[in-house]
Amino acid sequence: MADITRRNFVKLGALSAGMVALGESSLGASVLDQKGVKYDQEYDVVVIGSGFAGLAATITAAEKGLKVCMIEKMGRFGGNSIINGGLFAVVNSPKQKAEGVQDSIELYLKDMLKAGLNMNHTDNLKVIAARSADALKLTEKCGAKYYEKLSHLGGHSIPRTYLTSTASGAGIVQPMLGYAEKLSNVTLKNRTKFDDFIADDSGRIVGVVIRENYKFDMKALDDHAENKTGETKYIKARKGVILASGGFCRDTFLRNMQDPSIPLECDTTNQPGATGEVIMKALELGAVPVQMSWIQWGPWASPDEKGFGTASNFNINATFRYGITVDTKTGKRFMNELADRRVRSLAMFNVIGQDQNYPINICDQAAVDKIIPDLTAKALASGVVKKFNTLDELAAAYKMPAAELKKTVEAYNGYVTAKKDTEFGKPVHGVEGVQINKPPFYGTRGVPKLHYTMGGLKINDKAQIISTKTKKPIPGLFSAGGVNGGIHGASRLGSCSIPDCLVFGMVAGENI
Amino acid sequence: MKLKLFIFLSIGIGIGLIFSLVTYYGLHKTSDQKFCVICHEMDPMVVAYREDVHGGAGKLGASAKCVDCHLPHDNILKYIYTKARNGVVEGSIHLFGDPSKIDWIEKRAHRESFVFDDGCLECHGNLLSTQTSSKQAQKMHKHYQSLKGTDKEIHCASCHIDAGHQNMRNTLNYYTPEFEIMKEQMKEKKSEIQEKYQHYGIQKEK
Amino acid sequence: MKQRAQNIFVALCLSLCFTLLPLTLKSGEVTSSSPDLKGRETVTMTQEFKEKYPLKRVHAKLSLECLFCHDGQGNNPEAFKAVREKTCLECHGSKEKIAQRLDFIGKPNPHNSIHDGTRLSCDECHYEHKASINMCAECHEKEIATNMWMRKTP
Repeated sequence: MADITRRNFVKLGALSAGMVALGESSLGASVLDQKGVKYDQEYDVVVIGSGFAGLAATITAAEKGLKVCMIEKMGRFGGNSIINGGLFAVVNSPKQKAEGVQDSIELYLKDMLKAGLNMNHTDNLKVIAARSADALKLTEKCGAKYYEKLSHLGGHSIPRTYLTSTASGAGIVQPMLGYAEKLSNVTLKNRTKFDDFIADDSGRIVGVVIRENYKFDMKALDDHAENKTGETKYIKARKGVILASGGFCRDTFLRNMQDPSIPLECDTTNQPGATGEVIMKALELGAVPVQMSWIQWGPWASPDEKGFGTASNFNINATFRYGITVDTKTGKRFMNELADRRVRSLAMFNVIGQDQNYPINICDQAAVDKIIPDLTAKALASGVVKKFNTLDELAAAYKMPAAELKKTVEAYNGYVTAKKDTEFGKPVHGVEGVQINKPPFYGTRGVPKLHYTMGGLKINDKAQIISTKTKKPIPGLFSAGGVNGGIHGASRLGSCSIPDCLVFGMVAGENI
Repeated sequence: MKLKLFIFLSIGIGIGLIFSLVTYYGLHKTSDQKFCVICHEMDPMVVAYREDVHGGAGKLGASAKCVDCHLPHDNILKYIYTKARNGVVEGSIHLFGDPSKIDWIEKRAHRESFVFDDGCLECHGNLLSTQTSSKQAQKMHKHYQSLKGTDKEIHCASCHIDAGHQNMRNTLNYYTPEFEIMKEQMKEKKSEIQEKYQHYGIQKEK
Repeated sequence: MKQRAQNIFVALCLSLCFTLLPLTLKSGEVTSSSPDLKGRETVTMTQEFKEKYPLKRVHAKLSLECLFCHDGQGNNPEAFKAVREKTCLECHGSKEKIAQRLDFIGKPNPHNSIHDGTRLSCDECHYEHKASINMCAECHEKEIATNMWMRKTP
């Protein structure tokens, strides 16, 4: 991603312009007419994408007895889900009952709407809240395992988050893939790219055009436009097509169109295949786009390494929770380190400004003692997190006013003792009394990276895609997961993506 | 005169026989890991060997000895010479050098120089002519034969990198970790296998 | 006197080398065929092809031939298709076996990681005729660059 320079992007623009020019001659051919199509393969359901949503849809539809084909354009199954952190918020879950936590659909909605600035489509949210426990059951049936205890994540008013036993979304994806593979009526195809929809006279989606043996080109500026590999096949989907192709954080063109304020060369935590060609095809069909310009930043990353890297986990677990984030110019704090992702990212960008003044995330040995040793070892060995014997050394390394920094730390330690942060409102009552005073001290430069596209397609409570033309569902077309939009509004709370993907995958599978 | 000759001959034959017997038993007794391990630095090798079919891990429990593969068998003099030379060189490293400095993982790249094909073929001789092995195996073994005697000659160990020592690289890592970050993890593994293989003369570290 | 004899000797050796060089180049152009494919397809492996499609070091050491992998794909290297993992596994056994070889790495074992298990295709990272890549570096850039738990992809 980092190699997309401004000059390259001009080329990218020219390329897109070329595509538009090409497209004009074939305008109106947004969908292939079924007449004259000779099908190479026939299924009841075609699922596009192989993450949480695609797998839930595939397994649910297959267990109804339908013949399902799940396609994935990358060589690797699982999309972003397989590199996801494995945090899964479940409303009214068995573990909540066991731990005596009172939860409700209303409380969940309240938390979500607060972070989402009330922009959320609550009809969708209610489905997620009501069915998340069913989704949990589905994953457990497939063999997913979870940590004993619930986690309490930022923005949630109570603990409701499960964590997979491998601390990765792969802890759900792998068992589900294994489960799907064993079903005789399921076909899984990787390196298979969706190219087009096939519709009948009534406008119902009855199939897809795909390319088999397609190999994604990591080096291409715009793989979707440039990559011609693979053999075209026509696939019939008797019952319909489920889109589970995820968001578009890695689609430089599309995200720039939605929000030009995002720097072109901006890094993201997403996998290289997270581009928007399926969303664009659905929009061509007439799907309603929702909140496409709301793109979420993850505030935990480092400018000194690519993607999620080693710093993110260190910051999530240690510095943000048990430490502080300071401006190098002033040595002062500037935000609630446990606020939601949007609030933190905006505050950080405010500090970063035009001169790349990256803020420093700081914690001490007591914080590090609280987290898995592996996380610290990797972050230190990477060189993105640094260790200092004194706060003076830390201040000197990042060219910070040491006296100011020490004053800031002293004030913060006071808030921890008082269990109240009067300055920025960090919920310090939950940091188990960990102050910043036990050497060595740890510091790392912070930067938000693109993490999640809030926008996408609008679905109803049956996971059917709504059309701008009819204001009704497009027949034969369903979608689930990151490809959808508007569900989480302005900002999604942590651990709320997995239930969204799994629940609507399940719902799509049930309703197709 | 004739008698003298006879006596000399008899004594000669006697000495020869005794010498041969001593050599025979000597060589025999000094051919398995229990003897070799006295001087050679080979704890991880023994462990990986015991995990392998060649070390008795197969159903029949049959095993090859160290020298079956690691000494040349085409010529008895060469055999004895190599054995003696290895003994002296490695024995002195054991006594006077620093065996912990040896990079065993790197040494595996030169495995063709210390695994001898004639040893393998002693047992697997029919491999090169048999029709019962897989088509792929037959194809590659024919390739092996076609390169024999040329400057591109390859050896059994060129392809069969782990033969004789199951998961050699893993076990070597438990003793001398390739990656700094795994040091603690590997220590645990090492003490686990030391526990498991104590009765093969593998020492538990204090 | 001695010095002079030495110089003459060196000169002789050098000239011999230069006369032999074209011969060795010519001998590089051999007809390659796998033993059990005799009478069927053969590939004329010219120096040009050898440079265009170099083999990995370990495979070159074994003198592997085109048709060992590109079996049944005709005899024109330009028209050969990339082989899939099935071909690799003909020699390398199974994905589980390959995973076992790096078992000591544990969770990030590239052949059996907590993300992908044994599910990845070989050619996500390993290329035969060009430099391999490391897919993990997409997210674990620094860890890969510093060889923290993995060496350069062979």
